[in-house]
Amino acid sequence: MPTLRRTVVIHNEEGLHARPAALFVKVAKKFDASVSVRRGSQRVNGKSIMGILMLGAGKGAKITIEVEGIDAEEALEELIVIVEENLG
Amino acid sequence: MRIMDFLDAEAVEPNLKATDKKGVIEEMVGLLVRAGSVKEADKTEITRVLLERESLGSTGIGQSVGIPHGKSDRVDTLVAAFGKSNLGVDFDSLDGAPVHLFFLLVAPHDSAGPHLKALARISRLLKDRFFREELKKSMEQKALVEIIRAEDEKVQ
Repeated sequence: MPTLRRTVVIHNEEGLHARPAALFVKVAKKFDASVSVRRGSQRVNGKSIMGILMLGAGKGAKITIEVEGIDAEEALEELIVIVEENLG
Repeated sequence: MRIMDFLDAEAVEPNLKATDKKGVIEEMVGLLVRAGSVKEADKTEITRVLLERESLGSTGIGQSVGIPHGKSDRVDTLVAAFGKSNLGVDFDSLDGAPVHLFFLLVAPHDSAGPHLKALARISRLLKDRFFREELKKSMEQKALVEIIRAEDEKVQ
Protein backbone atom coordinates (compact mmCIF):
# COMPACT_ATOMS: atom_id res chain seq x y z
CA MET A 1 0.00 0.00 0.00
CA PRO A 2 1.49 3.39 -0.94
CA THR A 3 2.23 5.99 1.68
CA LEU A 4 0.58 9.35 1.15
CA ARG A 5 2.31 12.38 2.55
CA ARG A 6 1.90 16.09 2.63
CA THR A 7 3.95 18.84 4.22
CA VAL A 8 2.28 21.79 5.90
CA VAL A 9 3.53 24.87 7.69
CA ILE A 10 2.07 25.78 11.07
CA HIS A 11 0.64 29.29 10.89
CA ASN A 12 -1.00 29.50 14.27
CA GLU A 13 0.74 31.78 16.80
CA GLU A 14 0.51 29.13 19.49
CA GLY A 15 1.76 26.31 17.32
CA LEU A 16 0.60 22.72 17.59
CA HIS A 17 -0.24 22.92 21.29
CA ALA A 18 -2.28 20.57 23.46
CA ARG A 19 -5.78 21.32 22.19
CA PRO A 20 -5.11 21.01 18.45
CA ALA A 21 -2.91 18.00 19.18
CA ALA A 22 -5.85 16.36 20.94
CA LEU A 23 -8.12 17.14 18.02
CA PHE A 24 -5.59 15.84 15.51
CA VAL A 25 -5.26 12.57 17.40
CA LYS A 26 -9.01 12.20 17.77
CA VAL A 27 -9.46 12.50 14.01
CA ALA A 28 -6.43 10.32 13.21
CA LYS A 29 -7.88 7.56 15.36
CA LYS A 30 -11.09 7.45 13.34
CA PHE A 31 -9.17 5.92 10.46
CA ASP A 32 -7.67 2.50 9.99
CA ALA A 33 -4.70 4.02 8.21
CA SER A 34 -1.52 4.46 10.18
CA VAL A 35 -0.64 8.10 10.70
CA SER A 36 2.76 9.49 11.49
CA VAL A 37 4.01 13.03 11.68
CA ARG A 38 7.54 14.11 10.93
CA ARG A 39 9.39 17.24 11.81
CA GLY A 40 13.02 17.26 10.78
CA SER A 41 14.52 13.99 11.88
CA GLN A 42 11.80 13.35 14.46
CA ARG A 43 8.99 11.00 13.53
CA VAL A 44 6.07 10.31 15.87
CA ASN A 45 2.85 8.36 15.95
CA GLY A 46 0.02 10.64 14.81
CA LYS A 47 -2.41 8.76 17.04
CA SER A 48 -0.59 9.70 20.25
CA ILE A 49 -0.99 13.13 21.85
CA MET A 50 2.30 12.76 23.63
CA GLY A 51 3.88 12.02 20.28
CA ILE A 52 2.45 15.12 18.63
CA LEU A 53 3.36 17.33 21.58
CA MET A 54 6.89 15.98 21.52
CA LEU A 55 7.41 17.61 18.16
CA GLY A 56 7.09 21.03 19.80
CA ALA A 57 5.92 22.40 16.47
CA GLY A 58 5.61 26.16 16.91
CA LYS A 59 4.63 28.84 14.43
CA GLY A 60 6.53 28.47 11.18
CA ALA A 61 7.42 24.83 11.79
CA LYS A 62 7.11 22.51 8.83
CA ILE A 63 5.54 19.15 9.52
CA THR A 64 4.94 16.22 7.22
CA ILE A 65 1.91 14.03 7.72
CA GLU A 66 2.31 10.49 6.42
CA VAL A 67 -0.58 8.07 6.16
CA GLU A 68 -0.73 4.51 5.00
CA GLY A 69 -3.75 2.27 4.75
CA ILE A 70 -7.06 1.63 3.12
CA ASP A 71 -8.58 5.02 4.02
CA ALA A 72 -5.32 6.97 3.78
CA GLU A 73 -6.54 9.51 1.28
CA GLU A 74 -9.53 10.53 3.33
CA ALA A 75 -7.48 10.63 6.52
CA LEU A 76 -4.86 12.88 4.98
CA GLU A 77 -7.49 15.32 3.73
CA GLU A 78 -9.12 15.66 7.14
CA LEU A 79 -5.85 15.99 9.00
CA ILE A 80 -4.57 18.67 6.68
CA VAL A 81 -7.75 20.65 7.26
CA ILE A 82 -7.21 20.45 11.02
CA VAL A 83 -3.67 21.69 10.81
CA GLU A 84 -4.45 24.45 8.36
CA GLU A 85 -7.75 25.71 9.66
CA ASN A 86 -8.61 24.48 13.08
CA LEU A 87 -5.51 25.35 15.00
CA GLY A 88 -6.76 27.52 17.75
CA MET B 1 14.96 23.17 27.52
CA ARG B 2 15.16 21.14 30.71
CA ILE B 3 12.28 20.47 33.07
CA MET B 4 14.31 21.44 36.10
CA ASP B 5 14.78 24.90 34.52
CA PHE B 6 11.15 25.71 35.25
CA LEU B 7 10.18 23.15 37.91
CA ASP B 8 11.15 24.13 41.45
CA ALA B 9 11.87 21.13 43.71
CA GLU B 10 9.52 22.61 46.32
CA ALA B 11 6.66 22.39 43.82
CA VAL B 12 6.98 18.59 43.67
CA GLU B 13 4.42 16.66 45.73
CA PRO B 14 4.40 12.87 46.12
CA ASN B 15 0.93 12.60 47.58
CA LEU B 16 -1.85 14.84 46.29
CA LYS B 17 -4.91 14.65 48.51
CA ALA B 18 -7.53 15.98 46.12
CA THR B 19 -9.92 13.54 44.52
CA ASP B 20 -11.42 15.58 41.68
CA LYS B 21 -10.24 17.82 38.87
CA LYS B 22 -10.99 21.13 40.55
CA GLY B 23 -9.39 19.97 43.77
CA VAL B 24 -6.22 18.78 42.06
CA ILE B 25 -5.77 22.05 40.24
CA GLU B 26 -6.32 24.07 43.44
CA GLU B 27 -3.92 21.88 45.35
CA MET B 28 -1.27 22.15 42.66
CA VAL B 29 -1.54 25.92 42.42
CA GLY B 30 -0.89 25.69 46.16
CA LEU B 31 2.40 23.92 45.31
CA LEU B 32 3.37 26.87 43.12
CA VAL B 33 2.67 29.15 46.10
CA ARG B 34 4.73 26.88 48.36
CA ALA B 35 7.63 27.12 45.93
CA GLY B 36 7.29 30.90 45.75
CA SER B 37 6.47 30.76 42.02
CA VAL B 38 3.01 32.27 42.52
CA LYS B 39 1.79 34.78 45.07
CA GLU B 40 -0.82 33.63 47.57
CA ALA B 41 -3.04 36.52 46.45
CA ASP B 42 -2.99 35.24 42.84
CA LYS B 43 -3.99 31.69 43.70
CA THR B 44 -7.69 32.10 42.92
CA GLU B 45 -7.09 33.84 39.60
CA ILE B 46 -4.56 31.28 38.40
CA THR B 47 -6.82 28.41 39.44
CA ARG B 48 -9.63 30.03 37.47
CA VAL B 49 -7.48 30.29 34.31
CA LEU B 50 -6.48 26.64 34.55
CA LEU B 51 -10.06 25.45 35.08
CA GLU B 52 -11.22 27.59 32.19
CA ARG B 53 -8.64 25.89 29.99
CA GLU B 54 -9.87 22.48 31.16
CA SER B 55 -13.40 23.40 30.14
CA LEU B 56 -12.19 23.68 26.52
CA GLY B 57 -11.00 20.08 26.58
CA SER B 58 -9.30 17.92 29.15
CA THR B 59 -5.53 18.04 29.45
CA GLY B 60 -5.64 14.42 30.57
CA ILE B 61 -3.64 13.11 27.62
CA GLY B 62 -3.83 9.44 28.45
CA GLN B 63 -1.48 6.89 30.01
CA SER B 64 -2.32 8.29 33.44
CA VAL B 65 -0.80 11.69 32.63
CA GLY B 66 -2.38 15.11 32.98
CA ILE B 67 -0.80 18.42 31.98
CA PRO B 68 -3.12 21.21 33.12
CA HIS B 69 -1.79 24.46 31.74
CA GLY B 70 -2.79 28.04 31.19
CA LYS B 71 -1.59 31.56 30.63
CA SER B 72 -1.62 34.40 33.07
CA ASP B 73 0.36 37.58 33.47
CA ARG B 74 0.39 37.03 37.22
CA VAL B 75 3.62 35.11 36.50
CA ASP B 76 6.70 36.66 34.87
CA THR B 77 8.09 33.45 33.52
CA LEU B 78 7.05 29.84 32.89
CA VAL B 79 6.50 27.99 36.17
CA ALA B 80 5.55 24.39 36.87
CA ALA B 81 4.46 21.98 39.56
CA PHE B 82 4.52 18.20 39.63
CA GLY B 83 2.10 16.18 41.71
CA LYS B 84 1.23 12.55 42.11
CA SER B 85 -2.10 11.09 43.08
CA ASN B 86 -1.66 7.60 44.37
CA LEU B 87 -5.34 6.77 44.06
CA GLY B 88 -5.75 8.42 40.69
CA VAL B 89 -8.19 11.16 39.76
CA ASP B 90 -10.98 11.16 37.22
CA PHE B 91 -9.78 13.91 34.87
CA ASP B 92 -12.03 13.30 31.84
CA SER B 93 -8.96 11.88 30.15
CA LEU B 94 -8.94 11.01 26.49
CA ASP B 95 -8.49 7.34 27.30
CA GLY B 96 -11.00 7.47 30.15
CA ALA B 97 -8.45 6.21 32.68
CA PRO B 98 -7.70 7.97 35.98
CA VAL B 99 -4.72 10.32 36.10
CA HIS B 100 -1.87 9.70 38.53
CA LEU B 101 0.87 12.00 37.26
CA PHE B 102 0.25 15.73 36.93
CA PHE B 103 2.49 18.36 35.42
CA LEU B 104 0.96 21.79 35.80
CA LEU B 105 2.25 24.75 33.80
CA VAL B 106 1.53 28.46 34.00
CA ALA B 107 3.12 30.88 31.59
CA PRO B 108 2.76 34.59 30.83
CA HIS B 109 0.68 35.48 27.78
CA ASP B 110 3.53 36.35 25.43
CA SER B 111 5.31 33.03 25.82
CA ALA B 112 3.92 30.71 23.14
CA GLY B 113 7.43 29.40 22.32
CA PRO B 114 8.63 28.39 25.79
CA HIS B 115 5.18 27.05 26.66
CA LEU B 116 5.19 24.73 23.65
CA LYS B 117 8.79 23.70 24.29
CA ALA B 118 7.90 22.83 27.87
CA LEU B 119 4.95 20.70 26.74
CA ALA B 120 7.23 19.00 24.23
CA ARG B 121 9.85 18.30 26.85
CA ILE B 122 7.35 16.90 29.35
CA SER B 123 5.75 14.69 26.69
CA ARG B 124 9.14 13.45 25.55
CA LEU B 125 10.06 12.30 29.04
CA LEU B 126 6.66 10.93 30.04
CA LYS B 127 6.35 8.88 26.89
CA ASP B 128 8.75 6.44 28.50
CA ARG B 129 6.76 3.84 30.41
CA PHE B 130 9.63 3.05 32.77
CA PHE B 131 9.96 6.68 33.73
CA ARG B 132 6.22 6.83 34.46
CA GLU B 133 6.40 3.66 36.53
CA GLU B 134 9.36 4.98 38.50
CA LEU B 135 7.50 8.18 39.29
CA LYS B 136 4.44 6.23 40.37
CA LYS B 137 6.46 4.03 42.71
CA SER B 138 8.31 6.83 44.42
CA MET B 139 6.73 8.19 47.60
CA GLU B 140 9.12 10.96 48.57
CA GLN B 141 9.68 14.46 47.26
CA LYS B 142 13.46 14.15 47.15
CA ALA B 143 13.36 10.87 45.29
CA LEU B 144 10.90 12.24 42.74
CA VAL B 145 13.07 15.28 42.11
CA GLU B 146 16.06 13.01 41.59
CA ILE B 147 14.18 10.75 39.16
CA ILE B 148 13.03 13.75 37.13
CA ARG B 149 16.47 15.32 37.20
CA ALA B 150 18.19 12.13 36.11
CA GLU B 151 15.76 11.52 33.25
CA ASP B 152 16.00 15.18 32.27
CA GLU B 153 19.77 14.83 31.92
CA LYS B 154 19.66 11.47 30.19
CA VAL B 155 17.16 12.31 27.46
CA GLN B 156 18.22 14.64 24.67
